[in-house]
Amino acid sequence: MQVYSIPNSIKKDSKFTFCKGCDHGVAIKIIAEIIDELNLRENTVAISSSGCSVLLYDFLDIDCLEAPHGRACAVATGVKRAHRAKGEEKFVFTYQGDGDFASIGLGESMHSALRGENITAICINNTNYGMTGGQMGPTSIMGQLTTTSPLGRNKEYHGFPIKTAEQIALCEGTKFSARVALYDVKNILKAKKTIKKAFECQLKNKGFSFVEILSSCPTNWKLSAQDSHKKIAEELTKIYPLDIFKDTIDD
Amino acid sequence: MIEKSLLKGNIAIARAALNCGCSCYFGYPITPQTEIGEFLSLEMQKRNLAYVCAESEIGAINMALGAASSGQKVMASSSSCAVALMQETLSYAASDELPIVLVNVMRAGPGQGYIYPSQGDYNQATIGGGNGDYKTIVLSPSSVQECIELTYKSFYLAQKYRNPVILLVDGLLGQMAEPATITQNPYPDIDTSSWRLDGAKDRPSRNIHSLEPNQNKLNQHVLKLYQKYQQIEQSEPDWEEYLCDDAEIILTAFGTMARSAKAICNHFREQGIKMGVFRPITLYPFPYKRLRELSFKAKYIIDIEMNMGQMLKDVRLGVLSNSQISFIGKPVGDWLKKEEIINAIKNIIKEQYASI
Amino acid sequence: MSYIKIDQNKCKSCYLCIDACPYKLIKKSNNTGTTGELTVEFSDTENKCIGCAQCAIVCPDIAIVEVNRE
Ligand SMILES: Cc1ncc(C[n+]2csc(CCOP(=O)(O)OP(=O)(O)O)c2C)c(N)n1
Ligand code: SF4
Ligand code: SF4
Ligand code: SF4
Ligand SMILES: [Mg+2]
Repeated sequence: MQVYSIPNSIKKDSKFTFCKGCDHGVAIKIIAEIIDELNLRENTVAISSSGCSVLLYDFLDIDCLEAPHGRACAVATGVKRAHRAKGEEKFVFTYQGDGDFASIGLGESMHSALRGENITAICINNTNYGMTGGQMGPTSIMGQLTTTSPLGRNKEYHGFPIKTAEQIALCEGTKFSARVALYDVKNILKAKKTIKKAFECQLKNKGFSFVEILSSCPTNWKLSAQDSHKKIAEELTKIYPLDIFKDTIDD
Repeated sequence: MIEKSLLKGNIAIARAALNCGCSCYFGYPITPQTEIGEFLSLEMQKRNLAYVCAESEIGAINMALGAASSGQKVMASSSSCAVALMQETLSYAASDELPIVLVNVMRAGPGQGYIYPSQGDYNQATIGGGNGDYKTIVLSPSSVQECIELTYKSFYLAQKYRNPVILLVDGLLGQMAEPATITQNPYPDIDTSSWRLDGAKDRPSRNIHSLEPNQNKLNQHVLKLYQKYQQIEQSEPDWEEYLCDDAEIILTAFGTMARSAKAICNHFREQGIKMGVFRPITLYPFPYKRLRELSFKAKYIIDIEMNMGQMLKDVRLGVLSNSQISFIGKPVGDWLKKEEIINAIKNIIKEQYASI
Repeated sequence: MSYIKIDQNKCKSCYLCIDACPYKLIKKSNNTGTTGELTVEFSDTENKCIGCAQCAIVCPDIAIVEVNRE
């Protein structure tokens, strides 16, 4: 009996173009599995963003629209509302980096949450601008060495990072906000359950749902895939705790 | 006969948009276009259509981008410095081939400027502030009636060419009330089912993106867009000629400035001077060809604008060295007065027309 | 007999699956993959594989394309 195969919502013969060991691949795979399990493929429009996540449409066999850097939640709002104007409910989710969601696009992201826009945003937090070569981003941690914080992030000189899932949870229109990680099987399965819950929040028409995924960036962290996971488990989860910060889906 | 009623330009645009099936509007307040969003807020909510008071113009235009992917008629409106904020996404929309109608009711710049009348966004609209080889169709009404007709045309051209269209409106016109009729939309609806994103049901999945890491494919894409623009330049130039057939002097002007130009033309005609007015209605594609034909006969082409000569370069490109080209303009504020323009014209033509 | 299938063209040699398998049934192969390093192979001479799919779950490159359980 086949107990595992490539999800139907992944394009046939698609080959991920992420760096080796990068968690983006795991994230996309579990999203595809959830789309299959909830039977969403034929009713979904996904919004990809600028960053390592941009090629989402090359991997997922669903309708996809690319947003300008940071604007995915605004684009998703337009998609969702337009179909509603025709009396149709489409399933709409964004797939964004931490820089995309929480820096350049923070306004669009937070206002979508405040409005209670009935969309789901997935944010890959790899604590840097991965695609452009690992610069300091909104989530880079104190002391983190990046190409633009060569002496380490420092509160006097660079200021503080953002705890995105906690912040988004504070918005009235947010019905679900959580942070998950992908550094081992247990966490991957938990992440999948959590993302599924966020998707169901939208399917129940409850409002904004958000999942931040602590993800590895082996290339820019200059660590192996294994050591990257170790760093997430031992260091990042202390700063960015894994938790559900808000779940008012059934209220 | 349909009754005319007193209508403001802004309201006329909003009503025409609703009338031709615009189902999605996104905006952020800025004078002098705010009434469009104010009017539509109630009307669209009543009809269960899509209306979002966006968090910014960046939010608004990106919502429009998303909504346009559904194949429906989508509009955003704004003004000058705030349209500047939307330029990145206009470039995306052009590359993505997504139809968006963007209304710019102009205020004066640069920067924040003020709400004074000005036609300072000709360059912004026709050249565009976004990156890359892209073009935006630009329509320029000169009356409230034309605000209605060109709103219809904007939606039609946007979907026909799958390209953003800017309706470039003088602040004066947006605010001005004059008798007009909400006519029927004369254009057919365009089938968007071959490209829109609405879920991969009974068809392969689709994606719309502008990123293209493959050099050849990116080249092909830009060349394909370029061919489309050439077709637009071939088929869509639109203009109005007023007494141009025998004209030795042609005034060029766009938007409401063309109305002053006509009054001035009448004034000179009464004195036996063969003057005409040429008004581009499509600022892109600019009607170069027709202007060139007219310039073979005209000794003088006098361009009049409420800016420091933005359309002037297109006039020059049309006229080349066939006629003597002059410019009368003023950047901001009260529209150039009839007497001011008449005196300026007299100065330009005095050698040839010594009698006046 | 449970077993897995690995697509050699997709494997990027991150070796996350090696660590994930509770029975250490995945090891480096002799085949150089797309990243210039050795890909992995499944070798289960003692039929230890339980088809738990942990290897596939952690693989970031959907290179483990099938898990079959007895
Ligand atoms: C307006 C704009 N500014 C900058 C860029 C360049 N850029 C592309 S991706 C990116 C960073 C992406 O970082 P993040 O969102 O964290 O995603 P990651 O690559 O880390 O997954 C930047 C700065 C751009 N494409 N557009
Ligand atoms: S740069 Fe980092 S986030 Fe981007 S694909 Fe490579 S490892 Fe993944
Ligand atoms: S299915 Fe389980 S036991 Fe079999 S190879 Fe994979 S991890 Fe090992
Ligand atoms: S986890 Fe996947 S990509 Fe990494 S070594 Fe194993 S099979 Fe190859
Ligand atoms: Mg990042």
